[in-house]
Amino acid sequence: MSTHLDHDQQHTTTEPPVLTPQHLGPAAQGASSLTATDVSCWFGSRQVLERCSLSMEPGKVTALIGPSGCGKSTFLRTLNRMHEVVPGAKIAGTVELDGQDIYGEDLGVTEVRMAIGMVFQKPNPFPSMSIRDNVLAGLRLSGKSAGDKDTVVEESLRRAGLWNEVKDRLHDGGMSLSGGQQQRLCIARSLAVHPRVLLMDEPCSALDPISTRVVEETVIELAHQITIVIVTHNMQQAQRVSSQCAFFLVEEQKQPGRIVEAGDTATLFTNPKDQRTLDYVTGRFG
Amino acid sequence: MSAISPQVPIRPSDRPSRGDRIFRGFTVGAAMLALVTVLVAIVFLANEARPALSSTGLKNFFTTTIWNGFIGQFGILGVMVGTMIIATIAMIVAVPAALSMALFINEYAPRKVGRLLTSVVDLLAALPSLIFGMWGRDAFQQKLVPVARWLSDHLYAIPFFRLSATDVVLVRSSFVVGVIVGIMVIPIITSIARDVMAQAPRDVCEAALGLGGTRWGMIRTVILPFGRSGIVGGILLAFGRALGETIAVALIIQLTFDINWHVLEAGGSSVAGLIAVRFGEATPLERSGLIAAGFALLVLTFCVNLIARRIVKRGQVK
Repeated sequence: MSTHLDHDQQHTTTEPPVLTPQHLGPAAQGASSLTATDVSCWFGSRQVLERCSLSMEPGKVTALIGPSGCGKSTFLRTLNRMHEVVPGAKIAGTVELDGQDIYGEDLGVTEVRMAIGMVFQKPNPFPSMSIRDNVLAGLRLSGKSAGDKDTVVEESLRRAGLWNEVKDRLHDGGMSLSGGQQQRLCIARSLAVHPRVLLMDEPCSALDPISTRVVEETVIELAHQITIVIVTHNMQQAQRVSSQCAFFLVEEQKQPGRIVEAGDTATLFTNPKDQRTLDYVTGRFG
Repeated sequence: MSAISPQVPIRPSDRPSRGDRIFRGFTVGAAMLALVTVLVAIVFLANEARPALSSTGLKNFFTTTIWNGFIGQFGILGVMVGTMIIATIAMIVAVPAALSMALFINEYAPRKVGRLLTSVVDLLAALPSLIFGMWGRDAFQQKLVPVARWLSDHLYAIPFFRLSATDVVLVRSSFVVGVIVGIMVIPIITSIARDVMAQAPRDVCEAALGLGGTRWGMIRTVILPFGRSGIVGGILLAFGRALGETIAVALIIQLTFDINWHVLEAGGSSVAGLIAVRFGEATPLERSGLIAAGFALLVLTFCVNLIARRIVKRGQVK
């Protein structure tokens, strides 16, 4: 009986438009490559990441997977210099955006964060601002002139897949939206400053399945345009949205996290080189 | 077909335990205490103020600047304006300094320095105003003379800073008192503003930084809007304190009953200062006048509170 119900339900659900990494064209023009070399991280004297190297290719989605506490979020935060926001946080190694060291003297930290945007785990729109002002907040914060503001707002919200839902209430507070909408608003806010790379730290972990699907579709759409690095706990999600994948692991407690294996997502999930990767992707632990 | 009888909604009843009822009684009593105190104070003040008000007339009381206990003339216009002048100067000094201090402790200072500063600020808040008054009269006042001179020389365009003659005395003025009262209330604003701003959600702060915002940008877009009502609350508390400050004013100012717009020159007044200076030697009728002035101060404080609450409400997001 119950199987029958499940069967029925599957058929009555309208399928979303199929968009998978395999359907993507060649790397988007103007997207940037991001290369981390021997990145190690500390919080105070405790080392949490050890010599992580990863090349994130232009116009592709790279997923960072691994169990909780393995340092994937920390690694992500080193990619746009958010790691150092935490007092006492330190870093070694280099991160290059199109060959330019983001920790070097030539780039200021605000320039780096404008070029490499970030979407956080919990939707965090600015509570005192309207939807429209949230989208424009990045431009205001960085002192960039917005050009035609209405165009920027519409374009960014369209790219984040939120325009149709909010176009009639742009002046409502950002907090009046649902969780999934708030997260897409945060994506739109990041896109408004035209970053070359977008980092996403478990962007769907606070969302319901339907909102998750919409955000995933947004990610896949955006991969045409910019380079995306996404941290996820959800292995199906990694398979759905990414073409490259890196597996992080802490082998023993109190040891720093390392990248065990990185490469093509399909290969990593079906034919990994390392036994530990196989154990993880097949759900034997984690 | 039998008709369904309509349902009667009830509130589920609960029998609270004895302990609960006793505790509840205590809280009700404590809450009432505040109300009763205010009522008693108002009744007392109104009652005691009546002789002076009936001898001088309500209109004269608020609109003249003549103060004479023997003929029963009590005009507090100058004193009320003086009170506002001193409190305003105090706020001009205190608000920027206190907010900067709070932001420094929260956002810029290394943790240890921040913690040290927090306790120093709290200590400062506990210092009796008598200390400030004595320090202001005997030491600090002279240091402010060059500042007053500079203001009158360079900010001549602002009418308040003009001098009525070249040889006027630049101590014992509203300016000196305002600055000292301002320094006095800095810790109040700092500690409230710091507490409130420290509660700003960290993830939203990170969002501002992650968008390429500077630290100042983050403070402006996240921390200040978040702390807004708390900061206004702190400023109000300090403003109330400045309006009512007694000892520091009484020790320093040269009391006048006229409105003195030349804030840098000797001579000024405040209701609390006036009461402190005159109360001891007052005739019964003048005492009644002083109490009436105190009553007016209470009403003024109440109005300021009301206005500030409006301001806070207007700024809230839907």
